[in-house]
Amino acid sequence: MLKIAFRNIFRQRRRTVLTALAMIVGFTLSSVFIGWSDGAYSDIISMFTRNRIGHIQVHRAGYLDKPSLYDVIEGYESIGEKIAGVDGVEAWTPRIYSAGLGSVGDKTMGVQIIGVDVGREVKATQFDRKITRGAIFSDAAREAILGVGLARILKADVGREIVLVTQGTDGAIANDLYTIIGIAKSGDKATDRMACYLHINDAQDLLVLNGRVHEIAVIAEALDRVPKITAAIEAQINDAKLEVSPWQVVAKSFYRAMQADRQGDLIGRMIIMLIVAIGVLNTVLMSVLERTREYGVLKAMGTKPSQIFGVVVAEVTFIALGSIIIGAMCGASLNYLLSIYGISLPQEFSYGGIVFQTMYAAVTVRSLAIPAVTVLVSAIFVSLFPALRAARIAPASAMRTH
Amino acid sequence: MAPVIVTEGVTRVYSDDGVPVHALRGIDLTIERGEFAALVGPSGSGKTTFLNVISGLDTPTDGKVWLNGKLLSRMSGNALSDFRRDNIGFVFQAYNLIPVLTVEENIEYIMLLQKIPKAERHERVLAILDEVGLGGMESRKPTQLSGGQQQRVAIARAMVSQPATIMADEPTANLDSKIGAELLDMMYRLNMQTEMTFIFSTHDPMVMARARRLITLKDGQIERDEVRSP
Repeated sequence: MLKIAFRNIFRQRRRTVLTALAMIVGFTLSSVFIGWSDGAYSDIISMFTRNRIGHIQVHRAGYLDKPSLYDVIEGYESIGEKIAGVDGVEAWTPRIYSAGLGSVGDKTMGVQIIGVDVGREVKATQFDRKITRGAIFSDAAREAILGVGLARILKADVGREIVLVTQGTDGAIANDLYTIIGIAKSGDKATDRMACYLHINDAQDLLVLNGRVHEIAVIAEALDRVPKITAAIEAQINDAKLEVSPWQVVAKSFYRAMQADRQGDLIGRMIIMLIVAIGVLNTVLMSVLERTREYGVLKAMGTKPSQIFGVVVAEVTFIALGSIIIGAMCGASLNYLLSIYGISLPQEFSYGGIVFQTMYAAVTVRSLAIPAVTVLVSAIFVSLFPALRAARIAPASAMRTH
Repeated sequence: MAPVIVTEGVTRVYSDDGVPVHALRGIDLTIERGEFAALVGPSGSGKTTFLNVISGLDTPTDGKVWLNGKLLSRMSGNALSDFRRDNIGFVFQAYNLIPVLTVEENIEYIMLLQKIPKAERHERVLAILDEVGLGGMESRKPTQLSGGQQQRVAIARAMVSQPATIMADEPTANLDSKIGAELLDMMYRLNMQTEMTFIFSTHDPMVMARARRLITLKDGQIERDEVRSP
């Protein structure tokens, strides 16, 4: 039976080639679609996590749901040392957050005070690269770096001074004067409109935190290892008062928006495969119609309906498997080229506040496995109806056809 | 002799655009083992329909058919397939070889369905090819053979699994008279040697002349049933 199915492929070569082409084009388009989407999301996630939030964050339990000045991490340095010991951790950095008011001259604006450990922040999120004007923190006290949007609103620039007013953990009003030494552009417009970076020691002094921090951001060596590293850090810290969260939990809304976008991709892929399936159905129906007499003869000789059914499905499966191999080569090659050269967008676009100019694809297992399964399943699925028709052929009437 | 085929009131009515067409009208017939019988009659008399019905390829609208003692109407689709595979060999007017298979593969097809081991299949194919005069042609494709050679392959395919009955629908219609006579001689010889039952549906006077029983159909009924001496 398999021999008949295999040799039937070569009977109407032009039709087989056209059927295979439909599958190959469908596979390749689907593969590039996924590779492109994986590449783009990988870039977005990488920029979002590496440059900003980190891959994993450690907080006091409940902080993420309801951030509070008082939910602090005690002894962050020893915790950081434990985190550094976990396999796959590239860097860690402590942070402090508080809301306050910032005044430059006669302009006042609500700000987000972010206390950072300069050395660790540079290692973890390349903080130094975000400075567009001025310089990064020196060893001097009371220096501030403003987000580019905030600087614009306050009409502030390097060399001017900013007064910060906030509340310390002791309940008292805290205020101090800082020299603006730099302007930073994080790539996230919302952050840049609010951020006022201070050295971690200055932030601790202002907020009366006494060596405590609100967050430890962790950078993993590879994105796909985040779940394992998260579990390992949790085990290493082993403190019920602390919460270890991967980036998907930290940036819930960003992650959900991305997942929703991927659902959109799924619809696109399904439309491609539907077009392919209709083409395949048409050619398989045609071939069953042409071979009606032959199937009638096979049945007359004692071939069971299920065996005739198998011949039709096997023939389509053979074409699908061949198409998948060729499609995989085409898809992987295109994705590889696009992963190296990318495509420059005529207009930059922003996603999750991150600005993109060039989009790159990625060669992933998903970009080959999903089209392979889709092509195979849809080809087999559309062959079921013609196969059923062939299996139910009445031999006496089938042999009257020409 | 034991009966191979028994029919009782076999009727077959087709619907042609809602108009009933009576192809067979209550045929009662018994065919014994080893007969060399021909169903004859004008076009539309019901020869092929009767052949299809007694071989289980078509279902009668009414009446019963016993083949080798088995009532065909009691069999499911799969059981009927198995029964045809093991009991009936078919020879068609248009040869109906499977074009993608070689001569050997066409002939061994039924034995493959019967799960006969490869070595035995090969041996039997070579033996029957010698018998039908096509020794050495086992690797050819049907398209590489003449009409007479293709019909020999079809006969070899029908006989290789040694079924009790061979049903041949106009086997000589597409052949010239010389080749037709040769094939007929061959089938006659095999019938005499093996006691295999041969039932032909034919218009060919040569087949009629060789048949030891002539069953003449007219308007779906048996008009005459004539048994002749060999």
